[in-house]
Amino acid sequence: MNRNLLRFLAGRVVGMVLVLFATSFVVFSAVHLAPGDPVTFLMRGRPITPESRAVLTAQYHLDQPFLKQYFLWLGDVLSGDFGRSVQFHQDISTMITDKLPTTLFLVVYAMVIIAVLGLALGILSALRPGLIDKIVLVWTGMAVAIPSYIAAIVLLSIFSVKLGWFPIYGAGEGFSDMLWHLTLPAFALALMFAGLLARVTRASMLDELSREHVEVARARGVPEGQVIRKHVLRNALGPIVTVVGTMVASMLVATSIVETAFSVQGVGSLLIKSVTAKDFPVVQAVTLLVVAVFMIANLIVDLLQPLIDPRVALGGDQK
Amino acid sequence: MTAAAPPLVQGGTPESPRMRRGAPARIRALAANGPLFTVAVVVLVLLVLTAIFAPLLAPYDPEQINLKNSLAGSSPNHWLGTDQSGRDTFSRLLYGARTGLLGPLLVVGVSTLLGIVMGVVAAWRGGWVDSLLSRSMDMLFAFPAMLLAMLCVAVYGAGLTAPVIAMMVAYTPYVGRFVRSVARQEQSRPYIEAYKVQGWSAWSICTKHLIPNIVPTVFAQAAISFGYALIELAGLSYLGFGVQEPTADWGVMVNAGQSPLVKDVMLPAFAPATAIVIAVVAFGIVGEGLADRVAKRER
Amino acid sequence: MADTTKSTTKKKNSVPATRAADSATPLLALDDVTLRLPDGAAARPILDGVSLRVERGETIGLVGESGSGKSVACRTVLGLLPKNARTTGEVRVEGTDVLTAGPAGLRDLRRNKVSMVFQDPRASVNPMRRVGDFLTEGLRLGGMSKKDALARAEELLTEVGIRDPKGALRRFPHEFSGGMLQRVVIAAALTSDPALLLADEPTTALDVTTQAEVVGILRRLQATHGTGMLFVTHDLELAAAICDRIYVMYAGRIVESRPAAELFARPRHPYTAALLASTPRLEEGAEPPTAISGRPVSLAEAPTGCAFADRCAFAVDRCRTEKPALVEDGTGAAACLRVEEGILA
Repeated sequence: MNRNLLRFLAGRVVGMVLVLFATSFVVFSAVHLAPGDPVTFLMRGRPITPESRAVLTAQYHLDQPFLKQYFLWLGDVLSGDFGRSVQFHQDISTMITDKLPTTLFLVVYAMVIIAVLGLALGILSALRPGLIDKIVLVWTGMAVAIPSYIAAIVLLSIFSVKLGWFPIYGAGEGFSDMLWHLTLPAFALALMFAGLLARVTRASMLDELSREHVEVARARGVPEGQVIRKHVLRNALGPIVTVVGTMVASMLVATSIVETAFSVQGVGSLLIKSVTAKDFPVVQAVTLLVVAVFMIANLIVDLLQPLIDPRVALGGDQK
Repeated sequence: MTAAAPPLVQGGTPESPRMRRGAPARIRALAANGPLFTVAVVVLVLLVLTAIFAPLLAPYDPEQINLKNSLAGSSPNHWLGTDQSGRDTFSRLLYGARTGLLGPLLVVGVSTLLGIVMGVVAAWRGGWVDSLLSRSMDMLFAFPAMLLAMLCVAVYGAGLTAPVIAMMVAYTPYVGRFVRSVARQEQSRPYIEAYKVQGWSAWSICTKHLIPNIVPTVFAQAAISFGYALIELAGLSYLGFGVQEPTADWGVMVNAGQSPLVKDVMLPAFAPATAIVIAVVAFGIVGEGLADRVAKRER
Repeated sequence: MADTTKSTTKKKNSVPATRAADSATPLLALDDVTLRLPDGAAARPILDGVSLRVERGETIGLVGESGSGKSVACRTVLGLLPKNARTTGEVRVEGTDVLTAGPAGLRDLRRNKVSMVFQDPRASVNPMRRVGDFLTEGLRLGGMSKKDALARAEELLTEVGIRDPKGALRRFPHEFSGGMLQRVVIAAALTSDPALLLADEPTTALDVTTQAEVVGILRRLQATHGTGMLFVTHDLELAAAICDRIYVMYAGRIVESRPAAELFARPRHPYTAALLASTPRLEEGAEPPTAISGRPVSLAEAPTGCAFADRCAFAVDRCRTEKPALVEDGTGAAACLRVEEGILA
């Protein structure tokens, strides 16, 4: 048992490291794939002073052979040194850590909404076939077709402009003020993913509901509530957790759109601004961050799977 | 348990899984999928026609600026009012269908072709080809399409080209993984083994039987992907990375409509937003309807 | 022994008047049970006038081909009806009607009086929970402490012949073989010390050697616990070997019922005879098996008369129009219009 689990883990970690290597390599070599010499590319349009050239050469180790450049740069990145923004001349790590709390707040807020709304609607729709199921299906069908930028303008125009319940922009300060400022962004971010989660939850629940062991539990006089909790929902968790893992990366991207739409100063809007301003070192840093978070989230999902379904650990690599 | 099992062999000659039917029969078969499916198909046909004939349909030049008529409401002259620069929203909406559909068409078309090749090779060859492909797919999974597109925009500059190419690359592994699983399933059917025993080459079996048989399923999936590609490309244009002002594009229009929104003028943003949602829902319904039909036929 | 202690603990939640050791009340009685499923405009019949009895400690076989309705009949005993099913008639367990019982009555029935063993142990045990959770679920519902429930479960696992029962409690279903898992299922069915055990093809999903073991365990436990058993199977020979009496079902109707030995030796209904003839025999000089021509029909598609008429070698015109009633004879009953004529003699 335990050795199987260890092998399962080791395989996953090795795979993750390989993918991180590969993605970081792509992100790094983009500097060289771009037309023109790296310094001109990085400075695009900004006046190149001997000083800025020296800074960039040091940052990207441009005086070294290509592969060595990559490994030196990777070493810097792994030690938390992402270099300096060419636009703001600031240390990128500091810029990101400054903005991280706001983004984290927004993402966690949205996650809570996604989990509550998605699970509740999915369960409701699986357990109440007929009218309620139809209504939820139509709703989730709409929700997955509404991208975050459209959800943002709709929420903004109704709840901020027309009703004046929520602020139009900004993130606020302090917990309750942030909660108030970030409610609309969080809902805009959550809508599509909640719809997706509801659909997966519904399908997974229906699949389990049709299993014989559920009827067996009923035949043994287990109350319906307990049948649903301990047999149906419990067994349906696998696909639900998997889909949450795959949502993480696209959710981080959606966060950048929502932050932009609501003028929230977070890591996401920093990415968008940096792409617009052609501030490539910042784009690199945030991209790597997104990939790393995606990897970690999916490692957690992989680790949860054997706990949810004991058959996974034994089978080793199930994919 | 309740009903007797149907006989294994039915009378008459066995029908090939793909039936040849005339056009009227096809249309009737489409309608049999339910009114929602029919409506969705009609919406998509209208969308395509709009994109093609936009110059004939649009009452105004979509880029004609008239600052004196900024943010006009709905009127007989301007059905959907005008935007901040006084451009006719209705005309821009019609023209917007062009970039709105062209981008996703390129993305889905190319990624589906590449994905079929990758998926079938992975399913058929197995071994290291398969694991190499799934590793590269794993990598691309970590890069959401929009993130890769942003990276490309940061390198090559804004415009439709960089995002479309990035998204082709990012969508391919999804199609590949899907095709691989469908092809695996199809491969396990006895008829494939029968052709192998008869000495058919892998190439002929794949091109003459395997791929034609999985194409309907893949096509249904492509219709659903089309909606997502539309959302993401319009989103990139909304962020200013894709189609650029003054070109009429739904994403660009939503962005431009955001500042009038604060003045409680909703049409410039809501008209393109509605268009995006309707198109995506229609693609979703058609895709899922097609997938259902394939699933029903398999049974 | 077990029965007397049990009846005192159970009086609390059941109806005392009918329950009180009334030996005249059969353990299980199905009386003229009809079940229909609304299928479009016309209701689709599944069961038609099914009546059967199981007395305490008795083993009763219910035999039929797939689609004959035997499993549905078995499930009605627990009130497990298909959705939208409409029923008439009575299903009485120790005198209490199941079909009209409320949720509380059903729960009491399922928890304390009747247990069921299903066909495929792989499908009937939740694969994601430990065997211990599965075994103790029923006991814990009855309010037993976790420790006591586990001790009782361990006891039962020993009884069904599982080695290292303590370790087994901590393992997951996929770590057991099919036969071992079916033993676990049987142990779980016995946790509540039920008066009636329903076994729905409990050996069909197992391989042949395991089948014999599982049947042996069922028989032994049934004898020691004094449990009545309704054994549902398509295997007439198996039923004849272990049952006291057998009901034969065809297309939702009971066509013959008789003590097992008598049925096996001298079937009166052509369907029973055909079933017996279709079973391969091992004795020397036995005739080779002959298949029943045609395919089994469901009640919905059966002709107005005898449902077996189209496949019956003895059918006459009358059989296709006139529905035969189940007529009592010396040793049992048969539903055949020509039974008096001695066609099978």
